[in-house]
Amino acid sequence: MIFAWIRFGLCALCLITAMVCFTAAVLGANRFGFIMNRVHAGGVGDTLGLFLIALSIILGDGFHMGELKLCFIIIFMWFTSPVSSHILIQVEYFTNPHLYDHVKREGLAEKTEEGK
Amino acid sequence: MKLREWKNKFFRWLDGDYDVMADIMEGSLEPDENHEQVKRDRRAAHEEMTSSGLSQAVISAERKGFYQFYTGVAIVSCIALIGVLLFTVNLLPRYGEENPRAVEVSDRYIEQGLEETGAVNIVAGMILDYRAFDTLGESHVLFAALLCVMILLKKDKKNMDSQFDDYYQIEQDAYFDVSKDTVMRKVGVLIVPCIFVFGIYILLNGQNGPGGGFSGGAVLGAGLIIFESAFGFELVDSFFTARVSMAVSFVSLAFYSFAKGYVFFMGANHLHNHIPKGIPGAILSGGLILPLNIAVGLVVACTMFGFYSLFKRGSVGGV
Repeated sequence: MIFAWIRFGLCALCLITAMVCFTAAVLGANRFGFIMNRVHAGGVGDTLGLFLIALSIILGDGFHMGELKLCFIIIFMWFTSPVSSHILIQVEYFTNPHLYDHVKREGLAEKTEEGK
Repeated sequence: MKLREWKNKFFRWLDGDYDVMADIMEGSLEPDENHEQVKRDRRAAHEEMTSSGLSQAVISAERKGFYQFYTGVAIVSCIALIGVLLFTVNLLPRYGEENPRAVEVSDRYIEQGLEETGAVNIVAGMILDYRAFDTLGESHVLFAALLCVMILLKKDKKNMDSQFDDYYQIEQDAYFDVSKDTVMRKVGVLIVPCIFVFGIYILLNGQNGPGGGFSGGAVLGAGLIIFESAFGFELVDSFFTARVSMAVSFVSLAFYSFAKGYVFFMGANHLHNHIPKGIPGAILSGGLILPLNIAVGLVVACTMFGFYSLFKRGSVGGV
């Protein structure tokens, strides 16, 4: 009995965290003004949000054939979502002439130069 | 007071007038000088064209009679269409009422579909056996759409020399060609085979479960697109040329037409056709459904990749 309740609690916790992730992703992808922030927010939903949803389903339902397929979906998304973010940012990097101004304004330029 | 301020801020944020992160991490991008100049030039040219007295007079004379006519015809046709649709809705059976004509067909499909088509998936039996000519028309529509896009977008000697095209060719090739990217290549090596296997699985299991020609073909086409993104057009051109694309589409559609024409001809004349139905549930079952699924899938894949290729560089399989 206690074990079932703990399982249900973990499942609900995962689902709520996933919903928080997706809310952040939706708000960020629509509200942020700078493209890198938007892509980052979208990537959070695609990776962590989906993973937590799958985890909560596995916790709630047990591990069967359907959940194995879910795992494959998660692996697929973890491969593809970062790559798509990477490609988007690469296009931005090559096409936006004001990108370095933005980086300088944030004070990131000094940091990267120190890093070198 | 504080609360009202916050509320005000929230609604301004909701309308997009106020950015919370503006001072902290946002860098609003300065407008692109070049682009602004182009827009200004275009606007000036447009104004110059429309402001000359003669063209104004011609336009106003044309509009005066035409718009009245147009409005009248629009109102009349809208009312006629609404009337026809309302009349048709009136003839439909009421909600929950038994409709003998519809029930007859669906009952037949559910009760004897497995026996008559040999497909466990009733939907596949419906769209590729009972109503195969409908699906044949859809496949032909896809093929015709590919031909239309080819007419509009294909590059040849007549339209390749203009400055506009050259500019876009160079710019796009430099910026949006991701096939040289290491990350994309390495992930492509891992992902592309899985996508192709998955697409073939959907294609071959159309008669036993969810899937079939259209969805499997879409997955195959998407796999081809990712393959191109990861490895570039040079590699794809080595096996997917315009001739191959057209030949595959033509052979698929011709096979579909002849096979289904044969079956319908024999069935309509109450003759026995020589296509084994197989054991329901096996991969080689369902009579013609499996080969027809493959034909439809190949057409869909060719069409999808053809669209992508035409939109990206203006040709299917090399200029």
